[in-house]
Amino acid sequence: MNIIEVKNLNKQFKIKEKDKGIKGSIKSIIKPKYRTINAVNDISFTVEKGEILAFIGPNGAGKSTTIKMLTGILYPTSGEIIVNAINPSEERKKLAYKIGTVFGQKEQLWMHLTPYDNFKFFGAIYDIPKKEVEDTIEELTNTFELSEFINTPVRNLSLGQRIRCEIVASLIHKPEILFLDEPTIGLDPVVKENIRKLIKKMNKELGTTIFLTSHDIGDIEKLCKRVIIVNKGKIIMDDKMNNLKYHYLDKKIIEVKLKEKINLQNEDGISVIKDKGNNLKVEIDCKKKGVADVIKLLDTDKIIDINISNIPLEDIITSIYKEVKT
Amino acid sequence: MLMEAKNQIKVMFLSLKYNIMKQMTNKVTFITNIVFMILNNASFIIQWLILFSLKEEIGGYTIKEVILLWGIAASVFGISHILFNKAFELSDLIINGKLDTFLVQPKNVFLSVITSDTNISAIGDLIYGYICLFLYGITIKNFILFTIFTITGGIILAAFVSIIGSISFWIVKGDILVDTLSNMMVSFATYPGTIFKNAIRVILYTVIPVGIANYMPVDTIINFSFMNFVYIIAFTIAIVILAFYIFNTGLKRYSSSNLMSSRI
Repeated sequence: MNIIEVKNLNKQFKIKEKDKGIKGSIKSIIKPKYRTINAVNDISFTVEKGEILAFIGPNGAGKSTTIKMLTGILYPTSGEIIVNAINPSEERKKLAYKIGTVFGQKEQLWMHLTPYDNFKFFGAIYDIPKKEVEDTIEELTNTFELSEFINTPVRNLSLGQRIRCEIVASLIHKPEILFLDEPTIGLDPVVKENIRKLIKKMNKELGTTIFLTSHDIGDIEKLCKRVIIVNKGKIIMDDKMNNLKYHYLDKKIIEVKLKEKINLQNEDGISVIKDKGNNLKVEIDCKKKGVADVIKLLDTDKIIDINISNIPLEDIITSIYKEVKT
Repeated sequence: MLMEAKNQIKVMFLSLKYNIMKQMTNKVTFITNIVFMILNNASFIIQWLILFSLKEEIGGYTIKEVILLWGIAASVFGISHILFNKAFELSDLIINGKLDTFLVQPKNVFLSVITSDTNISAIGDLIYGYICLFLYGITIKNFILFTIFTITGGIILAAFVSIIGSISFWIVKGDILVDTLSNMMVSFATYPGTIFKNAIRVILYTVIPVGIANYMPVDTIINFSFMNFVYIIAFTIAIVILAFYIFNTGLKRYSSSNLMSSRI
């Protein structure tokens, strides 16, 4: 069952343009010039209930604009959006009961209050009866391990603790869909891992659909089964995570430490990434040359150490971004 | 509908409570803010005392009426900054795209935004207003009328600045306009309405509704007129409807931002 359906969605912004210097300023007062930019350009996609979806793209690709239209913050210029059988621009309030949002760069908590008081406030916003809020707070406090600092003012919490509280605050009304906009921004690797585990747990236990944007490849790799890549307002890829990796799996990286130097510069299907002393790092195109062929070329007797790996996901995504730019 | 309004009011008062709790974390600042605001207001009365030592009455007002005028001005300013403080910053919130948090909540955006902050020193203004009423001469009738007009005036002032602030949905730099017009509204409120004649008087009862928020209430407390009373209430309702309409129309043009921001 589809929980989000987007059809031919467009969002245009009108931007005022000004020529250089004071002359330009005066000119722009008398005869202002405007330029229209298509922040989101005719995109269509669906998200299934219970899915964890990564919605990624370089800065300025239109990710946040799309999320903001899906949550009812912005009105689309044209196109159709249905989230949980609700049109966000027509029934914003009704939708708000069904969705949760965490914007990593924006805080919604009251800094001087304790997480507990904050959660109570959000309970009131979503019209939840007192007893029910208290039960939910207790449940989420256990899931997200907040008991240590539930009574410490938010401003005294560490960033990791705060983000955990932000997520809990957006779960108080048990939303069906959670929109996470860069939830792990600025966190250390241990805390990141922790947050990811909790997101996974939430998806499994509560069946919450998760719509995630992030620049952190770890978030995407470890959480999502499907990825949509946008650039310049258009969807350039919408595929399963496994397919994305598989698509690029015809390339391998081989790192070897050799007893003596070998030259592979002119071999077809091999490109040398690093060649320093007896250490060699090459990328091979498996369509042209098999891994075994390369090992033969290297001469097994001369190998001290070898490491064969896939291209890191980060590189795959970077190359997808670049393909569109050029 | 009724349930929705009840919940909205509940959140509004919860927000007020939390804001006061926030300010109370520093007890000394909290109290000095209030006390100094009362002293600050009191200092203006001295100027009037000097004026009245030179002239017996100004525009038909003696010192007694001027004290009542100041009382209404202070309590109207006070209540609107206690309950609707963010209405005065609406322009900044719109220009810098800071309405996102309110747009993802299942509440009325306009009300949630304007009631999300409280100016604590305004409590001093409100107290000062009632001190002035006490000096003017307190009776049950005066007290009730003064309280009603404090509320209507506070709502008119907040609705007025919200309407001006909402212009920022259409034009950039609307904040300057808000500052100028709300300052005008406040400063006109501290002079007897009778000294303004002709075109200015028309403006003060229409474009800048200080006449209905301040002058008419003062006249009605001094000399009760049912028609005036009804007119003030009707105007309050009308300007509130207009404020909601303009804000909601403008909201469709809202463009959010990616600024790093926090709720402080």
